[in-house]
Amino acid sequence: MMNKPNNLVLLILKYLSENERGLVGMDLVDLMVEKRFLGQEFLTWLWWKSEERGGSVEIPGFGDITVVFEKHMLLEYGEGEYSEKLVCTGLQTELKEARTGLLMGKKLEQARIQIVKDTYEWNFTLGAALFEFRNVRLPKTAATEQGGGNSDEETEGMILERVFLFEELVRIINDLFRLFLKVRITSDWSAELQTIRGWVHASGEQS
Amino acid sequence: MGFVSGSASFIRFGVEGELPSNTLEFIADRIASFSFRDIDDNMDEYSIGWVSVMNMFDAGFRYASFMNGDYVTVTLRIDERKVSPAILNKFVQKEEERIKAEKQIPKIGRTLKAEIKERVQTELIRKAIPIPSVFDLCWNLSESTVLFFSTNKKIHAVLEDFFKDCFGLLLVQQIPYVTAEHLLNDEQAEQLGIVNPEIFV
Repeated sequence: MMNKPNNLVLLILKYLSENERGLVGMDLVDLMVEKRFLGQEFLTWLWWKSEERGGSVEIPGFGDITVVFEKHMLLEYGEGEYSEKLVCTGLQTELKEARTGLLMGKKLEQARIQIVKDTYEWNFTLGAALFEFRNVRLPKTAATEQGGGNSDEETEGMILERVFLFEELVRIINDLFRLFLKVRITSDWSAELQTIRGWVHASGEQS
Repeated sequence: MGFVSGSASFIRFGVEGELPSNTLEFIADRIASFSFRDIDDNMDEYSIGWVSVMNMFDAGFRYASFMNGDYVTVTLRIDERKVSPAILNKFVQKEEERIKAEKQIPKIGRTLKAEIKERVQTELIRKAIPIPSVFDLCWNLSESTVLFFSTNKKIHAVLEDFFKDCFGLLLVQQIPYVTAEHLLNDEQAEQLGIVNPEIFV
């Protein structure tokens, strides 16, 4: 039996374990703060990318998948106590407020996304700064719909199928993220940024 | 709702450190040592340990194995006796009133007040029924990654420490920057290190 750790002990343990990790010159807590922009830039880029070809995004080596931004978004501007947040939701909106938010310099922190690859469809909310997958609805398959069944084999089959589908979603997001990174760190970025800025202005001014 | 049914929320960790060559035996042994111990019938305030993903009362994994193919699937169960501040306040005041009447004194000193609060709190915690919470975990042994089915940062810290105590391995949250380092080669990762935030308007 272990005693309940108090908050101070937890903080010290977290600090110690993060320092032991020795991430080259910067620990995880610093990275979470200083590189917070990376995930938000990716999600904002993905919104543009999904609208560029009407919901289709090409994954190199695979082909087209469908990426649709649904009617729920959280935008963020600034940091810490100076940050501003904007929540946009509603089934009939065209995310006008969110588009205007982009024009004001806000970046996407959270969005409800639908991804379709082959016959599989995922619905989930991506928290951009920390890559949090929230309220993930897996594709409907016989095993995910019917539960585990009674036998050990059926239970194992259901668990393995669900694991595969969760991990497949992570793989898709990583493929999209790699696509973004490959542009973001090269000289191609300035041209892509101009196109994105054009889209931000066009969609923000229309709304 | 979690890993085995319905919709789920999760984050990813990377697992750092070496597992011994008798991996499966080692994991089975560690899970057994760190399995959940019930505190319903004793006075303990807090208990944390592994249970089956299929049944939170199955800490011996009798009904479902924690090994599924190349994956370890377990649930982290935490039981905790808690007393709400309003209840604590009420019983502390009640006890103070009783002592004032008994001793025929108008006020209670600071030291005695602190003593009363501590005593009442201990009594109430003993009477409280442990509140259970469960969080599923799926460990991919071949890729050394973990999906953890909670987005609560306090629970992440608890998991990181418990996982380290149990297996002697470190969990590193796969935030975008850390994920990017795995997706890029060394030269590209160096480029990423000098990237600054961009303005999209």
